[in-house]
Amino acid sequence: MRDVIVIGAGAGGSVVAKELAGRGLDVLVLEAGGYADPETDWTHYENDANNPLTGFMRFGPADRSRPAWFRETPQNSLLWQLAGVGGTTQHYFGNSPRAYPGVFAGYDGSDAAAYDTAHLFPFTYADLVPYYEWVEATLPVHTAAMGTKESVFFRGCEKLGMALQTTKTTTADSYRPQENAILPPGGTAGRFSGHDDPRVQWPLATGCTFCGYCFQGCKHPAGAPRTMAAKRSADNSYMPMALTADAWSPHGKPVSLVTDAFVTRIRSEQRGGETVATGVSWRSVTTGEEHTEDARVVVLSAGCTENPRLWFNSGLPNPNDWVGRGYTDHYFDWVIGLFDDYTGSTKGAASAARADFPGRGGIMNVGLPPAIQQFALTFSDSGIRGQYGNGRGFTGPWDGPTGRLMGEELKEVLTHGADRLFNILIMTDDDVEPHNRATLSALPADEHGPVAKVEMRQRARSARTVANREFLARKAVEVVRAAGARKVFRIDWPPLILHVHSSMRMGLSERDSVLDDAAEARWVRRLFVADNSALANALGGPNPTLTSQAVATRTAEQIVRRYFGGEGWVRTESPVVSTDARVTRRFAQVAAN
Amino acid sequence: MPHADNDVGRRAFLARIGVLGAAVAAGSLLPGTATAAPRPVRAAGLTDVVAALRPVLAELARDTLNGLVVMTCPGPDAYSRAQGTPRTEPGALEARATDFLIKALDEYVPFPDQLATPLTQSLATGLSGTPLPSALLDLPLSGVRTLDTALRTLLENDDTLPLSSLIAMLLNLVATEVNPLALGGAFLSPFARLSYADKCRVFEQLEGPHAGLVALLDANLPEPLRASVSGVLQFVAGAVLEFAAYGSSCEWAVFDPATKTISARPVGWQLSGYQPHGVVHGWDDFLGYYQGRTKVENV
Repeated sequence: MRDVIVIGAGAGGSVVAKELAGRGLDVLVLEAGGYADPETDWTHYENDANNPLTGFMRFGPADRSRPAWFRETPQNSLLWQLAGVGGTTQHYFGNSPRAYPGVFAGYDGSDAAAYDTAHLFPFTYADLVPYYEWVEATLPVHTAAMGTKESVFFRGCEKLGMALQTTKTTTADSYRPQENAILPPGGTAGRFSGHDDPRVQWPLATGCTFCGYCFQGCKHPAGAPRTMAAKRSADNSYMPMALTADAWSPHGKPVSLVTDAFVTRIRSEQRGGETVATGVSWRSVTTGEEHTEDARVVVLSAGCTENPRLWFNSGLPNPNDWVGRGYTDHYFDWVIGLFDDYTGSTKGAASAARADFPGRGGIMNVGLPPAIQQFALTFSDSGIRGQYGNGRGFTGPWDGPTGRLMGEELKEVLTHGADRLFNILIMTDDDVEPHNRATLSALPADEHGPVAKVEMRQRARSARTVANREFLARKAVEVVRAAGARKVFRIDWPPLILHVHSSMRMGLSERDSVLDDAAEARWVRRLFVADNSALANALGGPNPTLTSQAVATRTAEQIVRRYFGGEGWVRTESPVVSTDARVTRRFAQVAAN
Repeated sequence: MPHADNDVGRRAFLARIGVLGAAVAAGSLLPGTATAAPRPVRAAGLTDVVAALRPVLAELARDTLNGLVVMTCPGPDAYSRAQGTPRTEPGALEARATDFLIKALDEYVPFPDQLATPLTQSLATGLSGTPLPSALLDLPLSGVRTLDTALRTLLENDDTLPLSSLIAMLLNLVATEVNPLALGGAFLSPFARLSYADKCRVFEQLEGPHAGLVALLDANLPEPLRASVSGVLQFVAGAVLEFAAYGSSCEWAVFDPATKTISARPVGWQLSGYQPHGVVHGWDDFLGYYQGRTKVENV
């Protein structure tokens, strides 16, 4: 009998595992993918890394000769999900903005009506701030360094006379360097180019070396210990801490981590008229062996798509039919500018500048290598630009209609130069809408049970959501033009299901939420959810990982309070930073074994 | 034995998905054509025809997808010329985007049989009504029937038909709807014969919210698969274009998975000027901190 079983070792699961391990609980973490060794498993090649079918960062078995795992997506869309320790943080950009205060209960600012007020967080922003601070210190989060592409973004914002944000909390329309989970360039990092030059490698270089490979997984500076990798993805930060809890916590107990372990069922029983989680069944991805484990508490951290799937496959109750519903994705779009001058688009942290518009959403610059760049230019719900609009093909302050670039136009953009492009990602404050959902597919089961189906009704989004996206697209065009773009495209992306939230949402009302304010399932005792799916809404547009990690930290405290007779620690203790030398030393021993 | 009217419909259908033309070009599948080898189909038997059809379908898929990938990255090749957008720099074919796409579709897309089967059966049901070039009309009926039976055998056995062939047939079918003249000409594939603008019309048909073809295919299916197939078709239509663009620009063609190295500079890197000296461990692009700000206030 374990104290706690955590299902999934991504951004949320690794946080709960680390926090509970730090309190001395006996924690088992089950992860469907592998735990990559960047030195041997990763390269800096786009397709080798990011191909959603075959890349080392995909949703599929660690053995890449086997097919990826199937999910049904019955629309023009791409569900970008990752298996493996670190989950989606393996390829995230490290951006760690806080959510806007207006998406929390109790907010009474003058813009209070501008948000998704029907789906607020069931606690206040002030309640979450100590957890934000704890995570920001642990990762750690820093104000981003600036490269050329950031200077382009800032130039545009300056010319528009926008306000500069100088605080952690966002309260007004403003721009700023990202707060990100990337160690700042130190020593000779960021000052030299090359591959073999020792000045781009550890130990002369520390922190971010501006290599430009955030999306392919950070293992830089070359030669650095895993725990000192610049980008603080969960595989570099929280999971090493979970595995070394005895080294940095006086009462810590290292977690047990099993990889290639696909959980197929949450086991439960009836006690006193209530459904109570009692453990899990899981299947070895490599051998096919079935296992069961008992636990006092189960934490579901498999993500917005797999959590509902597992819930349904486990036959757990769903009395209000909200399991899997309210799936939000920030209704992304792209504005892409062609510049005559160098923009440094492929260099540096993938995104180190942003602008926020509370009540609307946010925009941020993104540097892309060529193949992903071509994907970004060809992924559209507006048909082929200049040929057909697929019922859309919007016109506005950008050049020509929205749509996918193709043919000679696409070739012209490619040959214009990867480092003379400039991309802005639009992250919309989109409403929680029940018809956007993860459910079970009618297509056949795989070896882990019926598979997930993700429906995103792109053309049925709420009027507020659509208006927000239009507002942000126009703002992005203004910034790009002010920065000096010669030509500006707007793509009109279909759902790129990546900034995923709220498919198992916590909420104020039991009518439209799955979790209570402690992230415990309303109808299954001792079952908690700790990842983006637990978020109450789309946060107003800011990138979700930091908030997910703060909420997961809060959930870890709630687990200890409710079921292990302990007290919280975030308000009474100081966090240990994940770059602590004790973690590095012990993790090297763990990894060697 | 099929009815004579049905024979006409099947002949048209086989031509429109590109199979009839490809079979004629292959020469060994249909007796009595100019290039056909003197081997009677009836004597060969259905099993032999099915076996002989497989490589023909593979070639048809390759030809069709050649016509597709140059939509995303035209170059100095015949397919780019045929669509009316030749370029002097290397393009999708030099980047082996067709191989990338075929390998991805056939080996890695976890396309369930339960989707493939109704889709292929919808294709097997076919559409008719397009006038055929006389060369195809002159083919002996018995050979066409055998070919039709062989294709149905393949289509109805969902284990045997690669997804790339299925998508190619779909593209060709719509290509001949967009432009009936695509039934004849250079290349094996009707789709590859289209102009760039007509190829765009094909995708308009496939991904449109009310596309007639999608509705037609859907109508052949039982619930709950009906919406799934139309949705997946829209997904596939987008994905093949995006994947073709991705494949034209990434390192796949020159990457050796065993050594995790590349043997030449990828076409996408050449075209875009990406990392001119290869993979780096760092760039000298650190400009400092915006207005010297290394931290913000914690409020």
